[in-house]
Amino acid sequence: MEENTIISESGATAETKSSVPGSTGGFFRSFWGAIVDFFKKDLVRYIVRRVLMFIPTLILISILVFFVIQLPPGDYVSAHIAQLATEGELVDADYAAQMREDYGLDLPVWQQYLKWVKDIVWTPTDSTYYRLYHSHHNWKFSFAYGRDVWSVIKDRLGLTILVSAVIMIFQYVVSIPIAVYASTHQYSPGDYISAVIGFIGTAIPNFIFAIILMYLSYKWTGNANVGLFSQEMLQNGVHLYNFGEFLKRMIIPIIVIGTSGTCGIIRSVRAQMLDETARQYTLTARAKGVSERKIVMKYCFRAAMNPTVSGLGGVLSSLFSGSTVTAMVLNMQIQGPVLYKALQSQDMYLAGAIVMVQAVLVVIGILLSDIALAFLDPRIRYSGGNR
Amino acid sequence: MKENNILEIKDLHIDINMMEGKLTPVRGVSFDIRKGETLGLVGESGCGKSITCKAILGINDKKCVPHGQIMFDCEDTGETDLLSLNPKGKEIRNVRGKQISMIFQEPMVAFSPMYTIGNQINEATLLHITKDKKKAKEITLEVMRKVGIANVEKRYKQYPHEFSGGMLQRALIAMALVCNPKLLIADEPTTALDVTIQAQILELMQELQKEFNMAILFITHDLGVVARMCDRVAVMYLGRIVESGPAATIYADPEHPYTRGLIGSVHKIGGKKEDRLFSIPGTVPLAMNLSKACGFYDRCDARIEGLCDKAEPDLVEIAPGHCVACFNCPHEACRKQKEEAMARIKAEEEAAAAQPENEKGGKKRGKR
Amino acid sequence: MAKKIKSKEDYYLASQWTLMFRKLKKHKLAKISLIILAILYIGALFADFLAPYGLDEFDGLYKDTAPTAIHWKFEDKNVGPHVYKIKKIIDKKTFEVKFEDDTTEYYPVKFFVHGTEYKILGVFKCDLHLFGIGEGSNGGTGAKIMLFGADTLGRDIFSRVLLGARISLTIPFASAIISFFLGIAIGSISGYFGGALDMVIQRIIEVIGAVPQIPLWMALSAAIPSGISTIKMYFYMTVILSFINWTGMARIVRGKFLSLKNEDYVMAARLSGVSTWKIIWKHMVPGFMSYLIVSMTLGIPGSIVGETSMSYLGLGIKSPATSWGVLLQEASTVTDVASHPHKLIPIIFVTITVLAYNFLGDGLRDAADPYK
Repeated sequence: MEENTIISESGATAETKSSVPGSTGGFFRSFWGAIVDFFKKDLVRYIVRRVLMFIPTLILISILVFFVIQLPPGDYVSAHIAQLATEGELVDADYAAQMREDYGLDLPVWQQYLKWVKDIVWTPTDSTYYRLYHSHHNWKFSFAYGRDVWSVIKDRLGLTILVSAVIMIFQYVVSIPIAVYASTHQYSPGDYISAVIGFIGTAIPNFIFAIILMYLSYKWTGNANVGLFSQEMLQNGVHLYNFGEFLKRMIIPIIVIGTSGTCGIIRSVRAQMLDETARQYTLTARAKGVSERKIVMKYCFRAAMNPTVSGLGGVLSSLFSGSTVTAMVLNMQIQGPVLYKALQSQDMYLAGAIVMVQAVLVVIGILLSDIALAFLDPRIRYSGGNR
Repeated sequence: MKENNILEIKDLHIDINMMEGKLTPVRGVSFDIRKGETLGLVGESGCGKSITCKAILGINDKKCVPHGQIMFDCEDTGETDLLSLNPKGKEIRNVRGKQISMIFQEPMVAFSPMYTIGNQINEATLLHITKDKKKAKEITLEVMRKVGIANVEKRYKQYPHEFSGGMLQRALIAMALVCNPKLLIADEPTTALDVTIQAQILELMQELQKEFNMAILFITHDLGVVARMCDRVAVMYLGRIVESGPAATIYADPEHPYTRGLIGSVHKIGGKKEDRLFSIPGTVPLAMNLSKACGFYDRCDARIEGLCDKAEPDLVEIAPGHCVACFNCPHEACRKQKEEAMARIKAEEEAAAAQPENEKGGKKRGKR
Repeated sequence: MAKKIKSKEDYYLASQWTLMFRKLKKHKLAKISLIILAILYIGALFADFLAPYGLDEFDGLYKDTAPTAIHWKFEDKNVGPHVYKIKKIIDKKTFEVKFEDDTTEYYPVKFFVHGTEYKILGVFKCDLHLFGIGEGSNGGTGAKIMLFGADTLGRDIFSRVLLGARISLTIPFASAIISFFLGIAIGSISGYFGGALDMVIQRIIEVIGAVPQIPLWMALSAAIPSGISTIKMYFYMTVILSFINWTGMARIVRGKFLSLKNEDYVMAARLSGVSTWKIIWKHMVPGFMSYLIVSMTLGIPGSIVGETSMSYLGLGIKSPATSWGVLLQEASTVTDVASHPHKLIPIIFVTITVLAYNFLGDGLRDAADPYK
């Protein structure tokens, strides 16, 4: 009863605060009040805060990537000159100095960083300015591919996201039922089998697993199924009639890249489910006469979903991690091999950009999972995310 | 089953199989509950109170194996042994929540944080009373109002973390009472609450008991609460009932040394300043690999050497409705039991006269 | 009874580490894993002695050959373990090159033979090997024993697995130790001082955690200059692997610090004038050391896979230095694997090591949990 008064009090204060002091006209006031009320909603406030926190994260990622780009011995120009030298073109010191000035490599590091960031955010690729001054003098230029970095990334970005999404869906669709089964049948043979397979799946490095599967596929079907597209698809594009072939070619990548993540999800969901089944409220529900099945699905499973959803960013990160090497072995047309090629030719701008794109994708994943969590977990909604 | 009884527990044993061995937290408990009365089950933590109650509903952990009989007067099947029902089956689920409800010690963790209070109370209504959602909600709201939750329409849609402890306990009571059960098991319902809230909740329970005309099995270690709430009391120690009887008798004339100790360890208004509060020495032994001795032997101030360490007394009736399990009690029935036990021990000792028994008990006493 | 009481007291008086060790001994998988890891590390330590050949010893005749078969009977006589030399045969019709055992003479397998010179523990010169091939029964020479077969240059994969273990097994371990200290230092600063510093460190940890591990490792490996000595390469790899791993450790340390900071015993130490660093090292860190060791152990498998993957790609350890990842480069295409499946043998070692560390970590986690 006493808490009722508290609640009604806080409700009253909210109302008084939401109306703007001063008389700026009824319409404006109500409009403004509506906005304030909107932002007063815990959920909205929470989401806005999360999105705002995205910005410093982005800045830190860019600093990290810039650091990585700066790491290799020597600078961009000396690498470029060495490249030219192998092509038989000798460059004099003046030209090198000019180039350094153009790149801003003579500036202090922080100014270089700002310039680099500015180039990312500002320079429109198709402007004359870009073509005149920056065609070869810009972070956006890739040695290895002879064109600007963003176009190289864009080529593969869609497919990278598609493949990752498919694998991720596969991971969750497969692992969650297994985890629920394993937790409700703890210490049963099925539980042990899933644990053993899980351990082995995490223990064998992805790329080796890929080679083994390729070998088996070659042995059994006579076709190693390397690459996401057949020669025919590369010529005619992917259409409905050859989509089956595309799916067939996705099998090995899904198994290889998906397995390790799947095992991780199974382990964590199972542990969560076991935690939840030991909670007092399952006892309350049971004492109420609720069936075991409903206790598991309505109470335990629902509660175990929260940490699973919040782990989405980590799953995405390990997925990118795992797919990088595997993609090279399987010759998949995603970003992994591009990164490899870039690193082999010391094309740090391209390599840095790829790492950055992946990190940003992961952070977006984390952001989405946080927002999803806010919808799922009433406690976060309530506290405004003060975790 | 006797007339007027709604629940009879006969010789209930519960084993827990653990890696280290077999634990026996409940060793032969028998009691019955009459219609509309309040039975207090009293004892220290770890004496087997809670596990006994959970056994009634069959909601114990998988590791617990109960034996014995729990007879209950079921609505549709008449007298039924609840232990014989499949703990996951439909029959027992029809008893749980509908005919026997339970409220728990810590209301803060008794609700799932994921669903609204309304949803969780309404679940019981939908399960047992009506499938009509609108009607069910009305019934739920009505019960919530009855347990003293104000502003129910709003409260219905709130989550557990928006409730205070006292309010949650009220909600928990509402959930237990929504189907108008014949028996309410209250497992230390006030332990986790503030003293002022405790009084409110107890008052509420008494009111509701009158209104719904249900029996309450009240589990507690708080004798003050027992005195206020209960018609009859059963005192439990180390998985056994050591004394039971009408609450007034037990308070006025406790016969078992443990009961005496318990009552002695409660604050009394008007006591002398220099009187130290009585406390029972030692702790409850672990219910594993128990010897033949009386469970209370180590801590007892009225033990009889050579008897209490070699046999365990049964619960015998010394006055109408008043039962005690102790050898050292002046009443006729007890004396008879004592003599029988002594004779038995003597016979056994003579049979095994060749091997001198080691004086475990004596040594142990010397140490203390 | 008396004994039981004694064991109980013993139990209450035992230190945290004794208890942990006792519980670990009960965990069968962890015990087996510990034994396996001990064997692997001892094998790596005495790799020169155990391996019949040196790292770069090769025989062109033996290139790509399958594991050498060991025979016991020669012309129906029991002559002890022996091998045959191989000979090249060209199929006259298909012109396919084939290898066959040359059974005209046998070469006994001998123990404690003299072979390539090496230094025991890097100090004493020695040329003794555990086993090797003696002179042929007709005085011939040139037979080899290759338990795991040979690579494209005709080097013994068994020897190379053993010698490569020295790098593959120690880099993850060394990087775990670096991350361990880095994690404690940064985590304790973050947790003990709090405030803006804590804020910044936490954001950095978050960001490093968000970047996918292997791509970041790969990008960092670009900083390794080419043509450097094995030791430098080793050092660079260790540092790169630690670059990500310390974050997990720091997060645990920070969390523990936040919860321990306000404990009475820390307050008591502070009131009696104990210095901040002494409070951290003497009073706080020992309280959660077991958790750190568990998390360190569980972090090692990831580093092993990382090192192997990167070396496999040629971004980590590069030839002539040899790690298991380098050995696996030989098995990078389907044709390699199809025609020479024995080149996958190093993978068994990677898998066993990763599994052993995982099980050991699980066992340690259970043992460190006081509620189990």
